[in-house]
Amino acid sequence: MNVTENVTEPGGEQDRPRDDEIQAFHNRIRAADADKLELVGDKEPLSVLEEEYKAGSPVFLAKLLILKQSYGAIRRARGDGNCFFRSFMFSYLEHLLVIQDEAEVARMEKAIEICKKTLIDLGQAEFTFEDYLAIFVEQLHGVIQGKETSTSLETLVERCRDQYVSNCVVMFFRFVTSGEIRRRSEFFEPFIQGMSNMSVVQFCRSCVEPMGEESDHVHIIALSDALGVPVRVVYLDQSGDMNDKPVTVNKHDFIPEGMNTAVDPDVILLYRPGHYDILYRRGNSGNVKHTSLEESNVEHF
Amino acid sequence: MSSSGYGQKEKVLSRIAANRLQKELTEWQVNPPCGFRHRVTDSLQRWIIEVHGAPNTLYEGEEFHLQVDFPEHYPMEAPQVVFMQIPPLHPHIYSNGHICLDILYDSWSPAMTVSSICISILSMLSSSTVKARPPDDDQYVRNCRNGRSPKETRWWFHDDKV
Repeated sequence: MNVTENVTEPGGEQDRPRDDEIQAFHNRIRAADADKLELVGDKEPLSVLEEEYKAGSPVFLAKLLILKQSYGAIRRARGDGNCFFRSFMFSYLEHLLVIQDEAEVARMEKAIEICKKTLIDLGQAEFTFEDYLAIFVEQLHGVIQGKETSTSLETLVERCRDQYVSNCVVMFFRFVTSGEIRRRSEFFEPFIQGMSNMSVVQFCRSCVEPMGEESDHVHIIALSDALGVPVRVVYLDQSGDMNDKPVTVNKHDFIPEGMNTAVDPDVILLYRPGHYDILYRRGNSGNVKHTSLEESNVEHF
Repeated sequence: MSSSGYGQKEKVLSRIAANRLQKELTEWQVNPPCGFRHRVTDSLQRWIIEVHGAPNTLYEGEEFHLQVDFPEHYPMEAPQVVFMQIPPLHPHIYSNGHICLDILYDSWSPAMTVSSICISILSMLSSSTVKARPPDDDQYVRNCRNGRSPKETRWWFHDDKV
């Protein structure tokens, strides 16, 4: 389908908000959102975004049409600066719960042990993160059914909405991310210097470890690598021009080191400037073909 | 952005906060940060800490006292840290004891501890080249006269090197 044919709006430069304007808008609604949205929302059909953007830019609407070919639903995370970590938590645990992958639970336990060792080797006192680690492990074990401690999908939603449990898991991921960045500081240094003039350690102290600090590529790469979980980010942004060529939706697969780059991530996040939500493939199949208009961009680290 | 918390001073420590503080206190007793002494009290929620100015710095030989109050949801929420009595003369320390240091407010993280806060404060003192109050000291202190917590201030961090 050639999307440009369906849209008559010329989309000149003046008509479109700039990314910084969108960012300012997001900042304004963020405070208001925080009080009315759950930490993790309900699963909603993707069409809710059409409603949200119907008065908005034609580029967004064109991209939404493309997205709908591959993805059927969205689950929002509260825009409190922790949305990447929170979306990752829910998406990962929900997928495990649905497919009952005990081998993955065992693999994750090993990955967590390595993360713990990394933090201790870096001089992080164990008592500062052990409670958060334990709470994540508890959620991880809960998703496998048939035990007294098993959690249903409803319970998982409740836990991820519970301020205490949810924030503890987010904080554990922040520790893991910081540990991975510092362990591979030579690798991450150029990325960090490209974004700020901070040292790797300063970056972790100011932009990773405090709750509410927003995530960037660096955070996603580090968490995905450290835990060995591939992550797909689909971008719904202003990039591209309606006049130029058919609009494409960019996506980026973060594939952990040593994993086959052809792997299809099960953690899929929708990125809109300044915010991450959870995205679901269409139907039940985990194996939906990508449309040709969805530009693939696999990065291997 | 401000982190005033939910009426932290009145609330008792949560079980998690109490556990964590017990661990911090044990660690402190085994391995106290150099230049500091924790004054034993019966309160886990308020620590009084002696600070000794480091040798070969402007504060050599001087002694100060920090009061650290922990909120109900410590360490998710930052403790409130102020100097008691006569605070050190320093461009980032107000005469009412409030300290302009990012890790005490927006940049606080549960990855930090009382001990790491102490080390940051001592390093802030030790790198000072001038003994002076912040330029807006009078105005700031006047605005805090109703007993406002420094956690309710919207801090603007000029320079973490001074």
